[in-house]
Amino acid sequence: MSSPAPRLKVFRWRAVGPLLVLLVIAVILWILFADTIARHESQQVGTQVLGAKVEIQDMHVDLPHGKVTLRGLTIASPHEALRNLLQADELAADIDVVPLTEKKLIINRIAATGLRFGTPRATDGRVAAKSGEGIAGRVMAETREWARQFQIPVLQLATGKLSIDSLDPRRLSAIPAAQALGARADSSRKAWQAGFDSLNLGPTLDSAKAALDRLQHASATDLATLNDARQAIDRLKRARDRVTALDRGVTQGVAGLKSGLAELDSARQRDYAFARSLLKLPSFDAPQIGAALFAPGAIKPFERVLYYAQLARRYMPPGLLPRAATGPKRARRAGEDIRFPKERDLPAFLLRSAELSFLLHPNSAQPQRYGGQLSGLTSDPALYGRPTQLSASGPQLAAGAMLNHVREIPVDTAGATVGGITLPPFTVPGLPLRLDPGAATTTLGFTLNGDTIHARFAVRSTNVQWARDSGLTRTTIGELIWRTVSGIKDLDLEARISGELHHPDLAVRSNLDQAIATRLRAVLGEQVAAAEKQVRARVDSLVNDKVGPVRARVNEVQTQAQAQVAQQRAKVDELQKQLEQRLRQVLGGVRLP
Amino acid sequence: MFAIIKLIQSLFGALHSEGTPGQLAAGIVLGSFLGLTPLLNLHNAVIFAALVLLNISFAGGMLGWAVFIPFGFLLDPLFDWIGHSLLLAPGLRGLWTSLYNMPIMPLTNFNNTVVLGSVVFALLFAVPLFFAARYGVVRYRATLGERVRQSRWYRAVMASKVYNVYKMFRP
Repeated sequence: MSSPAPRLKVFRWRAVGPLLVLLVIAVILWILFADTIARHESQQVGTQVLGAKVEIQDMHVDLPHGKVTLRGLTIASPHEALRNLLQADELAADIDVVPLTEKKLIINRIAATGLRFGTPRATDGRVAAKSGEGIAGRVMAETREWARQFQIPVLQLATGKLSIDSLDPRRLSAIPAAQALGARADSSRKAWQAGFDSLNLGPTLDSAKAALDRLQHASATDLATLNDARQAIDRLKRARDRVTALDRGVTQGVAGLKSGLAELDSARQRDYAFARSLLKLPSFDAPQIGAALFAPGAIKPFERVLYYAQLARRYMPPGLLPRAATGPKRARRAGEDIRFPKERDLPAFLLRSAELSFLLHPNSAQPQRYGGQLSGLTSDPALYGRPTQLSASGPQLAAGAMLNHVREIPVDTAGATVGGITLPPFTVPGLPLRLDPGAATTTLGFTLNGDTIHARFAVRSTNVQWARDSGLTRTTIGELIWRTVSGIKDLDLEARISGELHHPDLAVRSNLDQAIATRLRAVLGEQVAAAEKQVRARVDSLVNDKVGPVRARVNEVQTQAQAQVAQQRAKVDELQKQLEQRLRQVLGGVRLP
Repeated sequence: MFAIIKLIQSLFGALHSEGTPGQLAAGIVLGSFLGLTPLLNLHNAVIFAALVLLNISFAGGMLGWAVFIPFGFLLDPLFDWIGHSLLLAPGLRGLWTSLYNMPIMPLTNFNNTVVLGSVVFALLFAVPLFFAARYGVVRYRATLGERVRQSRWYRAVMASKVYNVYKMFRP
């Protein structure tokens, strides 16, 4: 009798003890390091979301009481290397604990104290601008590209000989347009010649002539000859129809060639403009001068506000469709985290209300204290059902923003007026001048409704200071410009952007535009006119060799084709007329059935 | 160096353990989950607990883990694609939405494309891997096993202290 097989043990019970010990160790480690882990994770997530370094000095998580306290929060500016976006002394948050089991962060209230904006920092805190990775990186790249699309005129005080040696014929549009038109003319010529050949009028005309000859000697009773003549007339009519059809085709083709010639003229005008742009000739139009002087600086605030608005749209999209975000950073590929918001459920992130207390001019003898409110900041506006609102007020400050992503088309608005802000001095582009606006009142208005943008940025100052580089005094023009602007103490600058987000219009004006324009026109007008004449002559010399023969060829082709058609039609018409006339004579007015 | 010695010890320790080929293969399969999927996720805690608690080869698990880590890195683009396809499949949206709004489930990071893709891949790969591993162990023990056991270098490797730690969890 064989012994029974040993019973297979499924569980290794002696491992329960070590496993429990491991679990206890894990719990102890969590208790010891929860704050550190939470701080590290918060820094990482914040940095990833904003595209700038987020640093937290100290963080305490008190889960049983649903309280989180952050101290020493620093958020670097995503745009400026050595500047912080904001710093906060302390943030105290009340959170709901139960939603954490669904990985949802619901913050009922945050009290933020000691907020400071635009403080300097020792290290470069930009992340998205440098790496270009993640959502923030992509948004940064998009907004930079958006800002680059504006054609900012260059104000150049060039003196001496203006040269256009660098004009590359390959970049002129008239030459390829002429080549294309020449090819079209050749193919039209071939097509029309084939059309003429296919008319095959020779036999028809010959038989009609023969019929006419016979008819000359025929009488009214010579029915066979009369019948031949009538058939010849019918054949001539059909031949005429074919000639008419060909004529129609030739007329259309000629119209196409004529429009090609007109396009050649337009291309030449574009080439003039292109060659002129190579010279960077100064414009005398006041709006152009305003754009040249201030647009590079005025676009920056728009670019920054647009960056945050677009970030908000990516992280707070309308609707309830699944949405992807870059996964957590790890040694393995991060992948994407897809969120699945559900109707009548909690959003993944919600900050119901925040009270902000902050300082402006923190380094002055009497820093000014301000207060603000933020409400309804959420990852799923459709679930929360109300827009995100921000407001702040205080002496010389009024600011508000609303991000309404509740409906399908998001609407983002922001507005702020800040007085007494000392703007940094800047070099006026194209001029060896430095403008120090001093303490100014700055206004920003921004609306992004779907894909339509309307934004306004204005600076007003009554005590601007001008400084000039030593190089400026060496030129007559520089001296004149200096004399023009150095007496101006007021600055009234306004920049507006409006239109479709992908292709908006930029308008910049200032009180300096007209003064500089008048002075430039007086000094440089003659030189600019001469340079423009030279530009046109240079373009003409490059283009005429190519365009002239093509123009002649096109004219020849169309003249030849029209003449051929007219000639063929005349022959047919003449024969038909003679036949009909002779037929009437023979019949003496009697109509045969 | 330590990792290589550990891997070699795991390999031969497992192959020459008293466990059945099935126990060893099951250990390798669970270990492959640890190697193929991103380690710091809730499901791997369950896998590790199963590896410790179930009467299967822990050494096999360590072996599977060590062997499949590089494959995990290599196959990440594939996992990303699988996860992406599954998570964005319109037919499965209801399932994911329910799971995502359920307690605990979001903590598994199933909504990450690489995590979901790798877990699904590891699950599908588990069955062929189990049978292949079991066949391989049987063949090894029948052919090379005894000669390797008698070799001098095998004794040298197994004499290391690390082997003693391993012996605590042998089946």
